[in-house]
Amino acid sequence: MESKRIINFLIYTIAAISVISLLWWVNTDPTNEYKTSEPGADNRGKGLAAQEVKIGELFEQFSTGYTELSESWPRFRGADFDNISKSPVKLIEKFGSAGPKIVWSVEMGEGHSGAAIYKGLAYVLDYNEEKRADILRCFSLADGKEQWARGYKLNVKRNHGMSRTIPAVTEDYILTMGPMCHVMCLDRKTGNLLWGLDVAKEYESEVPLWYTGQCPLIDNNLAIIATGGKALMVAIDCATGQKVWETPNPNGWKMSHSSVIPFTFGGRKMFVYSPIGALVGIAADGPDAGKILWETTAWNHTVIAPSPVCMPDGKIFITAGYGSGSMMLQLKESGGKFSVEVLTEYLPKDGLSSEQQTPILWQGHLFGIMPKDGGTMRNQMICVNPADPKKPVWISGQENRFGLGPYFMADGKLFILNDDATLTIARPSTSGYIQLEQVKIIEDGHDAWAPFALANGYLLMRDSKKMVCIDLNL
Amino acid sequence: MNKTQNRRKFIQNGARLSLLLSLGTVSAAALRRVSGEDYVWQIDPFECTQCGRCATECVKKPSAVKCVHAYALCGYCDLCGGYLKPGAIARDTAAENQLCPTAAIERKFIEEPYFEYHIIEDLCIGCGKCVKGCTSFGNGSLHLQIIHDICDNCNECAIARVCPSDAIKRVKGSEAYKVKGDFTNKPKA
Repeated sequence: MESKRIINFLIYTIAAISVISLLWWVNTDPTNEYKTSEPGADNRGKGLAAQEVKIGELFEQFSTGYTELSESWPRFRGADFDNISKSPVKLIEKFGSAGPKIVWSVEMGEGHSGAAIYKGLAYVLDYNEEKRADILRCFSLADGKEQWARGYKLNVKRNHGMSRTIPAVTEDYILTMGPMCHVMCLDRKTGNLLWGLDVAKEYESEVPLWYTGQCPLIDNNLAIIATGGKALMVAIDCATGQKVWETPNPNGWKMSHSSVIPFTFGGRKMFVYSPIGALVGIAADGPDAGKILWETTAWNHTVIAPSPVCMPDGKIFITAGYGSGSMMLQLKESGGKFSVEVLTEYLPKDGLSSEQQTPILWQGHLFGIMPKDGGTMRNQMICVNPADPKKPVWISGQENRFGLGPYFMADGKLFILNDDATLTIARPSTSGYIQLEQVKIIEDGHDAWAPFALANGYLLMRDSKKMVCIDLNL
Repeated sequence: MNKTQNRRKFIQNGARLSLLLSLGTVSAAALRRVSGEDYVWQIDPFECTQCGRCATECVKKPSAVKCVHAYALCGYCDLCGGYLKPGAIARDTAAENQLCPTAAIERKFIEEPYFEYHIIEDLCIGCGKCVKGCTSFGNGSLHLQIIHDICDNCNECAIARVCPSDAIKRVKGSEAYKVKGDFTNKPKA
């Protein structure tokens, strides 16, 4: 009797413990100590406050004497938008024991803005950290003597540098685009202000991350600006500042760092542009100027710095950094209508890709420098056939790695600038990488990312704080 | 009797002394392990390829390898390649946008346009995903280091044995960390 009671007691006890355990197990959340990651935990601010900017308000004349020269590098990627100089001037390919002949150098505000050159004058949109102002500086190319400067007060905080862009220069006009999307149009000969436009304010555009890298374009005396925001692109008469056409932006595509590239295909001149959200071709002339001729949203990435490379057969190569990779598209025209087809799309490790610089098309091949996430090819120069950009024709090799700096061609030579301002001269070839020379140009150079400019054998290059002019004449 | 007691005392004192000596030897050995003249394991951040083996091969679970942040090198970017997944839907703190599998990086808005990133060491497993992102797209301010108050300083480091870039080496205890900013891969002038 006693033992039966004990057994019953044990059974009830075990049952009770089991029920309690089950209830505990059911009601206990093993993740209750976990902290959920939800949006807003960083207490993000409301964006940069709008600034009242008087574009062109500042002007200083320093000198009026300069040596007029014959050649020009009038804009981003040169006269033909291909980053290849057509100058007949013979350039040296080895510096010898004396090293490079640096004709002049000048301290700049921290940034990556490159120069445009027009007949002996060099134009750079600098950021003056003391005056807190975007300043267009005009230098004599031959001796570096500063001629004049015009700009406007603007508070720009250091964000991987301040300045970014290259002016567009014609016989009559200079067009600049500042880091926070302020467009300034000047009379080239006098530096007088013609008009200004605060793109972010007028078009409610979002200033791209790290400030805009879009280099403005002058086409037939029209300023072509990809605005994003309320309009996708606008054309403004350089002489009057009057708007000529405006491309609607119903999809709200945003401004990128990419620049507008003119392209003629299928009997139409168009502006090819890669906003954040798409790749588009916009009619450049005719009664439908400003109208979107074709578009594709297959290309849609958060940060796009390189510009589209348009090829005579209608292929368009576009690439971007931050893991985006690249895309090759085929543009087709039939009866005045355009269509675009994606030929291939791939990750950066799988073929020609670029984070900042725009690849060069030369002798039917594309040349570029792979980004850091380019797998085993990272930071190497690569040559591909556009028919298969995933298959390298050659790569420069593990011992020849570069960075985010620029590269261009002139006088049958390929010039490459490394992040630390080491200049490499190579022989362009579709069969292999042939290095001719390599020399450090700026001691302790840092973030030398601005594109080159070359005219009359004078090469302008810079790192984040200093611009130098090298005499490459043979 | 006295003789016996003396022998017992002698044995007891001998045992105490032996224990004391042993303890002293162990303590000295432990101290010696981290003394300036001895060697500990450390990662050269300029050799590291962020292969992920630090998280899986260390005998400590979670790994004694943690991400450290060289604030002086950081760009304080909104779009941080070390914090956000490539192609993240939004630049915010939502889990789906974070690259770190354990949410070990805290993101704080400082002022326009700057954000600060702080490593929560207890959550970090040393996988190096953030380091790869920061190295590929940023200034490389995030990097991996062996934390010595966690590390057992094994005779043969299990990670070093499989490190594909031989980035883990014995370094002097007096220079136990190779933190970027203080440590560079540039040759001394």
